[in-house]
Amino acid sequence: MNNDQQNSQAMGGHGGGIPMQAPRQDMEYLCADCGAKNEIKAREPIRCRECGHRIMYKKRTKRMVQFEAR
Amino acid sequence: MDGLTESGWDNAGSNWRGLGLTDPIKSVEDKWLLLPAFLKVKGLVKQHIDSFNYFVDVDIKNVVKANNKVTSDVDPRFWLKYTDINIGFPDRFEVEAIEKRVTPHECRLRDITYAAPIIVTVQYTRGKKIVQRNVNIGRLPIMLRSNKCVLTGKDEAELARMSECPLDPGGYFVVKGTEKVILVQEQLSKNRIIVETDSVKGIVQASCTSSTHGGLKSKTYVVTKKAKIYLRHNCVHEDVPIVIALKALGIQSDKEILLLTAGSTEAYRVAFSSSLEDAAKLGVFTRHQALEWIGSRVKVNRRVMGPRRPAWEEALEALATIVLAHVPVTGLDFRSKAIFVATMTRRVLMAMDDEKMVDDRDYVGNKRLELAGQLLALLFEDLFKTYNSNLKTAIDKTLKKPSRVNEYDAWHTMQFQGDHITSGFVRAISTGNWSLKRFKMERAGVTHVLSRLSFISALGMMTRISSQFEKTRKVSGPRALQPSQWGMLCPSDTPEGEACGLVKNLALMTHITTDVEEEPIIRLAYMLGVEDISLATGTEIYGPHTFVVNVNGTIIGLTRYPARFVLQFRKLRRARRISEFVSVYINHHHKAVHIASDGGRICRPMIIVENGRPRVTSNDISELKCGKLTFDDFLRKGIVEYLDVNEENDSYIALYESDIVATTTHLEIEPFTLLGAVAGLIPYPHHNQSPRNTYQCAMGKQAIGAIGYNQLNRIDTLLYLSVYPQQPMVKTKTIELVGYDRLPAGQNATVAVMSYSGYDIEDALILNKASLDRGYGRCQVLRKNATLIRKYPNGTYDRLADAPLEENGRKAKKYDIIQEDGLAGVGERVDPGDVYVNKQTPTNANDNTFSGQAASVPYKNAPMTYKSPVAGNIDKVMISDTDNDQTIIKVLIRQTRRPELGDKFSSRHGQKGVCGLIVNQEDMPFNDQGINPDTIMNPHGFPSRMTVGKMIELLAGKAGVLNGKLQYGTAFGGSKVEDMSRILIENGFSYSGKDMLTSGITGEPLEAYVYFGPIYYQCACFLNCGLGLLTRLLEHMVMDKMHARARGPRATLTRQPTEGRSREGGLRLGEMERDCLIGYGATQLLLERLMISSDKFEVNACQECGLMGYNGWCTYCKSSKKMAQLTIPYAAKLLFQELMAMNVVPRLMLDDA
Repeated sequence: MNNDQQNSQAMGGHGGGIPMQAPRQDMEYLCADCGAKNEIKAREPIRCRECGHRIMYKKRTKRMVQFEAR
Repeated sequence: MDGLTESGWDNAGSNWRGLGLTDPIKSVEDKWLLLPAFLKVKGLVKQHIDSFNYFVDVDIKNVVKANNKVTSDVDPRFWLKYTDINIGFPDRFEVEAIEKRVTPHECRLRDITYAAPIIVTVQYTRGKKIVQRNVNIGRLPIMLRSNKCVLTGKDEAELARMSECPLDPGGYFVVKGTEKVILVQEQLSKNRIIVETDSVKGIVQASCTSSTHGGLKSKTYVVTKKAKIYLRHNCVHEDVPIVIALKALGIQSDKEILLLTAGSTEAYRVAFSSSLEDAAKLGVFTRHQALEWIGSRVKVNRRVMGPRRPAWEEALEALATIVLAHVPVTGLDFRSKAIFVATMTRRVLMAMDDEKMVDDRDYVGNKRLELAGQLLALLFEDLFKTYNSNLKTAIDKTLKKPSRVNEYDAWHTMQFQGDHITSGFVRAISTGNWSLKRFKMERAGVTHVLSRLSFISALGMMTRISSQFEKTRKVSGPRALQPSQWGMLCPSDTPEGEACGLVKNLALMTHITTDVEEEPIIRLAYMLGVEDISLATGTEIYGPHTFVVNVNGTIIGLTRYPARFVLQFRKLRRARRISEFVSVYINHHHKAVHIASDGGRICRPMIIVENGRPRVTSNDISELKCGKLTFDDFLRKGIVEYLDVNEENDSYIALYESDIVATTTHLEIEPFTLLGAVAGLIPYPHHNQSPRNTYQCAMGKQAIGAIGYNQLNRIDTLLYLSVYPQQPMVKTKTIELVGYDRLPAGQNATVAVMSYSGYDIEDALILNKASLDRGYGRCQVLRKNATLIRKYPNGTYDRLADAPLEENGRKAKKYDIIQEDGLAGVGERVDPGDVYVNKQTPTNANDNTFSGQAASVPYKNAPMTYKSPVAGNIDKVMISDTDNDQTIIKVLIRQTRRPELGDKFSSRHGQKGVCGLIVNQEDMPFNDQGINPDTIMNPHGFPSRMTVGKMIELLAGKAGVLNGKLQYGTAFGGSKVEDMSRILIENGFSYSGKDMLTSGITGEPLEAYVYFGPIYYQCACFLNCGLGLLTRLLEHMVMDKMHARARGPRATLTRQPTEGRSREGGLRLGEMERDCLIGYGATQLLLERLMISSDKFEVNACQECGLMGYNGWCTYCKSSKKMAQLTIPYAAKLLFQELMAMNVVPRLMLDDA
């Protein structure tokens, strides 16, 4: 949530040579009650835009996940 | 009575084995349907919920009524009165919330308390007007599934919408996100006389713990001391001779005293005579003298104000209010209290005369169970009183201010009273410490975290009863199985070890009563012809045909026709004129009729039998079947009634319908209800050796299985789930009733009872590798990792940062799964050492002088790293807010585990074993249909354990598999072995359950037939479940168990080092270790370990007489000539002296070494 500061520090420290990252879009979270997509801002109360529910879940990763069939 | 004999005549011809031709019920199977009907109305944990409902609906109002006025010392015209109190429904605390209602599940996830507002209606003066308003004074944690819970009365779909499990019993609280249970506490009943003897000291004592509704508790004794009788109470320094006590209570003449205590029985008169003389010797003859005598010995509560009162007034007040506080004294009429004391004395006299006339402390009828409602009521009263006194000081403070612009409104003051009540409740329930100074109550460990290891463990926790007895006492009485606990407390379900027999569990059909108002009952008793006790003298009370009538331990009157009185009373109860939980019974030993309406009695429903015929007809049952009747209708129609333990003792209860005779009064609904919910899971428990059932009760709670329908929505600290749970092939009716078939914990394994490989000795099991591959015993472990993103008081805050880049511009391996928001991606694999929450905290978080820009402060890393040595997957990442607006992040990490060597498995018969070997399927034996066993169990497990139930389970399970039906193994019933064998034969198997197997290794047929079939196996693998848990457990255990000592405390008696870690004790070199040293010949080491480092002691011994002296002087020989000094263990010296005390002379024969 505070990624801007973190990243600017990291970049500033090492100068160029870093591949351009894809323009970041805000993370989306799902409301536990109605399933609506929400964005969460730092230090703001967590509340669903649609229904006012206070619990959010993170969406599943887009990366591939491998399991060991054992 | 007449009707009974008449119909007996009528039916005489048609009776055959107790069954008439017109007998209403044909089979027993119909009757048990009352049990699900009962459970439908009451639920499995009705005792908790009923108690809480009673508190919320009735008791809390009584508490407020008792403390309903707040006045001001400053302004005498001001007053504030509570007129009503109501508990709302649980809601969100926030003001701006849209949907106010809150579900328990949300509370669990957000770590908040499931609580409802307490709203009082107050009337108070504002200026010259009287205003009435509603005020919220705090929040009360709400018990799940109680009246005030949002889950009550919801159907399955609605519950699913609230992500709640329909099978969850409720009865617990959610406080700060954890589920807390207030365990049932067992206590000796209040306000009853208990007579005991101490045969060693020759003391007989009658004691009575009085407890009134105001919370006042005191214990009064009537004791013998040197054949004289005394009254003993804490508020008097000295034991009061009983005659003086009775004289002080207003019975002046010796004749009357003698009549009220000893009556006309000669033996009692003789025993009492010395007590009578006692008073005369002390010069106490009149009431005033007696009061003066007591008054000079009463402990006076020094009050600041008021002049000192004369001694007799002090005595009068003590006798009226403190001694036997539960017996009412209206005006100064001490008559009933005097008679109560006289009765206690008489009971002592009776016990002196006949040793058998003592009471049994362990008798369940003398016990009361204290539930959540009662404990909460006490807590609330304490908090409410404090709240009121705080309110009063606050009001005084404002009223004291000389000038006020507008007239004073107490409502504003009430708004700013803080959250004393709310935090008081939360603190008490979450810590379990009930320390109420006001009621002299100091109890720890009242609440427990609800164990969610399995569904059954949660259920078992709700029925658990903990006892107040200390565990260290070595008496067997409280631990022993009581005959009176039949049907009330489960005979099997108790832990092993130190708490054995002290922790009990309720049986399936029990109910615990709540208080019922006693005034109407007393009025009713008088209407039924009871004569007031105040009008009676000893002659009448102890007359040949009179019975004393007690209501809740207080004597109210006499009756000459006890049987008729009790009969009429019961009829009125069956007609529902009084509460069904009021019990009435005759005690012939004490010649008394007892009516009990107090809370905490255990009772259970039973079918009423009249005229040798149960009142239940098949018609009733069929109407019950199609839902026209409920259990309450059966109560209303007088078919079924509740009996408590005492009334049970006064009834003649038939176990089966065929056992009914003319004098039978009741019929059991179903015998298997004598077991509890946990013991009810065992198939054929009546075929097992009883300790095996007890072992299973402990083990069934550890089994891994399904926890609830909402198990995948829950984020618990640790959750064990079975991947493929199955319902057992051999069910019991209890299983269906508690819902174990829907939330099972185990799998039906095909078992071959044979020996295999030698890795199966000592109860070890052989597992089939292919079965494991197919998912047998596979389980998932979900672990919660939570963190708060805090805001600090100085304006700084924690933050989440994305993965830092290394010099080559890439993320480090351990930050691989961290996404832009600083949290791990859901579903990603976490390897040991990986960061899954990249939190950073400000370095000056606790520096309260800081006042700069919050964003510019330096941060340090505070990441959460994955510690377990086994990789897991992120299952869920939840983000939410807690009560005080801190962000909470919960990460659920999942591990999947398959059984491995050393994992624990257990059948339902207390037969646990660890996996000793995993064998490839091709090496397993197979039968002629090619079926392999999943498990091989060594037959040596059977002979010593005598678990015949397990063998029958196999047979019934096999039959069930073959004809595609589930079989029943219900206690005292279930599928018959003969029927099972028949099914086996019909399907081409041997009737005995044995199959011909072929060895998988050699391919030859095995030389014996093998007992082969399905047995329900529970996997309790978390004892040795993978390395991950083991290290965690070890970490935990090492901290707890680490202990070493060089020198330290010693026991006073033996001067040897103390025992145990808690006492900083030494490590014992025991008998067997000693043997080793002797065998090795290490004498010096032996000497050092056993004496020098332990309890060496210098003694002076006389070579002449062999006795011990001191300071070089032999007291026996009166000389110091032949004294020698030597070192021996102090314990040896102690032994010699103890022997000498028993007239045995040990002599030391000294020799040069």
